[in-house]
Amino acid sequence: MLRIENLHVEVESKPILKGVNLRIGPGEVHAIMGPNGSGKSTLAQVLAGREEYVVTQGSALLDGKDLLAMSPEERAAAGVFLAFQYPIEIPGVNNAYLLKAAMNAQRRARGEPEVDAFEFMKLIGAKLEMMQMSRDFLHRSVNEGFSGGEKKRNEILQMLMLEPRLALLDETDSGLDVDALKVVANGINSLRSPDRSMLLVTHYERLLELVVPDHVHVLADGRIVKSGGHALARELDERGYDWVQAEAAAS
Amino acid sequence: MSANVLHRRFERTLELAPGPFEARRRALDAFLAAGFPTRRDEAWRYTDLKPIAEGDFDVPPRELGGAVHARVRSLLDEASVGASEAAARIVLVDGRLDDTLSSLGGSPKIEIARIAPEQPVGRRGDGASHPLAMLNRAFASDGVAIRASAGAPAAGPVELFLVASGEGNIAQHPRVSIELGRNARLAVVVHCLDADADGWLNLVVDATLDEGSYLEMQRLQEHGSRFHHTSLLTAELGRDSALVAGYVDVGARIARNDIDVRLAAPGAHADLYGVFVAAPGRHVDNEIHVDHAARETRSETDFRGIADRTGRGVFRGKILVRPDAQKIDARQKSDNLLLAEQAEIDTRPELEIYADDVKCSHGATVGEIDADQMFYMRSRGLDEESARALLTFGFANRLLTRLAPERLRNRAARLVAGQLPAPPAWEGLE
Repeated sequence: MLRIENLHVEVESKPILKGVNLRIGPGEVHAIMGPNGSGKSTLAQVLAGREEYVVTQGSALLDGKDLLAMSPEERAAAGVFLAFQYPIEIPGVNNAYLLKAAMNAQRRARGEPEVDAFEFMKLIGAKLEMMQMSRDFLHRSVNEGFSGGEKKRNEILQMLMLEPRLALLDETDSGLDVDALKVVANGINSLRSPDRSMLLVTHYERLLELVVPDHVHVLADGRIVKSGGHALARELDERGYDWVQAEAAAS
Repeated sequence: MSANVLHRRFERTLELAPGPFEARRRALDAFLAAGFPTRRDEAWRYTDLKPIAEGDFDVPPRELGGAVHARVRSLLDEASVGASEAAARIVLVDGRLDDTLSSLGGSPKIEIARIAPEQPVGRRGDGASHPLAMLNRAFASDGVAIRASAGAPAAGPVELFLVASGEGNIAQHPRVSIELGRNARLAVVVHCLDADADGWLNLVVDATLDEGSYLEMQRLQEHGSRFHHTSLLTAELGRDSALVAGYVDVGARIARNDIDVRLAAPGAHADLYGVFVAAPGRHVDNEIHVDHAARETRSETDFRGIADRTGRGVFRGKILVRPDAQKIDARQKSDNLLLAEQAEIDTRPELEIYADDVKCSHGATVGEIDADQMFYMRSRGLDEESARALLTFGFANRLLTRLAPERLRNRAARLVAGQLPAPPAWEGLE
C-alpha cells in the first residue's frame, strides 16, 4: 500500500531523513521508534504534505500513486490521515463544523455523496462514546482549551470519522495517562482492518502493548537501522537505543 | 458641507420642528469655529472625513410614507433578536422616534422617554470637545433616554434601531442617554442599518452607571456600502459598576467609533470588545479611550480587525491612569488580519500612566493566516481556499461568540462571514 524508497528530506537546508526505505502492506501496523531527533515526526509530517519539509531525493507511493506530488488535501482525499503530535488550536471554529467540512471535502474529491447534518450527527454519536467524549466537544472550538489528553482523543475521533486508508499517528501516546491511553488504543484498534494500514510513531513501548504492531522499525539519524517484530519494541524498552545504534555503526 | 450649507440646513431643521434653539445654535457656532476634523488633527490622523465633510446631506423629512414604513418594518424584523426576547423596541427612522414601529415595553423598572432636540443628553452630549458631537448637538434629531431604576433586575435587551429610510441622502443625529440606578442591570442592543441607502448616521450615546450597576451594550453596525457611520459613546462608571460593550462593524463606507469610558470610582470595570471587517473600499476606525480616574478600577479592551484589498482599518487605544489611580488593572489587545497585500490596518496602543502601583498590558498584532493552522485543516482535506476562509471567519468569530442572545450572535456571524472574500458554508458555523 505504502512504498517509501530512499527518502531524503531537509528542513531549513538541514538533512533530517537520509534515505528511508519502508513498505507497509494493506492491513499492516508498523511502529517507528527511535531516539529524539532521529526524524520520526518528520517522516510522518512529510507523508502528510507539510510544506516546510523539502524532499531532496527518493519517492513515496500510495497505492502506486506519487504521494509527494499531491497537496495535503489531495493526500487526505486519497486516504492519508495524520494524527498530530501537537494538535493545532483553531479558535472560533467548532469541532463539528471542521469535521463535517473535512468529511465532505474528501467525499467531494472522491466523487462520493456528501453527508448532511443529520447523518453526520448519527455517525458521530457512537464514535464520541467510544472515545469517551461528551457531545459538548462538538460545539467547542477545535482543540481550544482542551487538555493534552482531550486533544489526542479528538485526533482519534477525527480519524474514526474520516476512516483513512493510511493512518499516521505521531506520538499519539505522549502525554496520556493510563486510562486515556486505553481509550485511545481502543479507538485505534477499532479501525484495524485488512485494507487499512497504520504507521505509529512512538517513543514508548506502552502503546504497542495495546496496539500490537506487525513490524517495528528503529529510526536513527535519518535511516531505518533495524527492523523486527513486536519483540524488538520490548527489547528497546528494556535496553534503550544505544545498542541498536552501535550495531548499526558496526555494520 | 460648507458653513453656508450647514446654516441653511439648520434653518430648515427649525422650520420643520419649531421650538427653542439657543443651545443648538451655540453648538453649531462652536462646531463651525473649527469645522470638520481633518487628518492634521491627531485624533483623525488615519481617517479622512472628506466624503462626509464634502457630502451634501439633507435634513430628515417630516413624515414617512406608508411604503417606507413597510420597508423599515421588514428590515427591523429581520435584524431583531425577536420580540419575545426583547424588553422593548425603540425605532428611530432617519433620527426621528417612530411611535408606530416602537414598543416601549411594560417593564416597571425601565423607563423610556423622548428627549426633545433642545434638551441636552448626558455629560458630553453638549459637545464639550468632540467635533462630531457638537454637530450632533446642533442638528439633534430625536433623542431617547433609557433609564433603569435602582435595583432593576436583568431582563431581555432593550433593542434600539437606528434606521435610514433611504428617502434621499439624509444626515441623522440621534442621541441616546442610558442611565442606570444603583444595582440596576440593563442590556441594550443597538442596530444600525439601512436599505442600501446614501446618508450619514452621527450617533451620540451617553451612559451613566450608578454604584453596583451593570450595563451590557452591544452594537451591530451593518450599513450598506454608500452609508457613513460615526458614533461616540461616553460612559461614566460609578463605584463597583460594570460596562460591557461589544461593537461589530461589518458595513458603511466610513465607520468611525469613539468610545470614551471614565472609571470614576473604585471597583468600576469596563470590558470593551469589537470586531470589524473592512471589505474593499471600506474604512473602519475605532478610537478607544479608557480613563482610570480612580483606584482599583479595571479595564479590558479586545478588538479584532480584518481588512481585504483596499479595505482600511484603524485601532487606537488610549489608556490613561491618573496619579491617584493605584492598584488598577488595564489590558488592551488589538489583533488584526490582512487578507491581501494592499490591505492596511493601523493599530496604535497608547499608555499614559501617572500612578506607580498598576498592572497594564497591551499587545497588537497585524498578520496573516497562521501556517500551522492552514496545514492542520488541509491535512484534514479542506482545500486552501476553504481553509483560509474558515480560519478568517474563526479569527472574528472568537469574539463574536461573546454576543447574546443567540439571534444577535448568529446575525453578526452571518454578516461577518458574508463580508469575507470566500464565505464558508453557513450551516453549523455559528
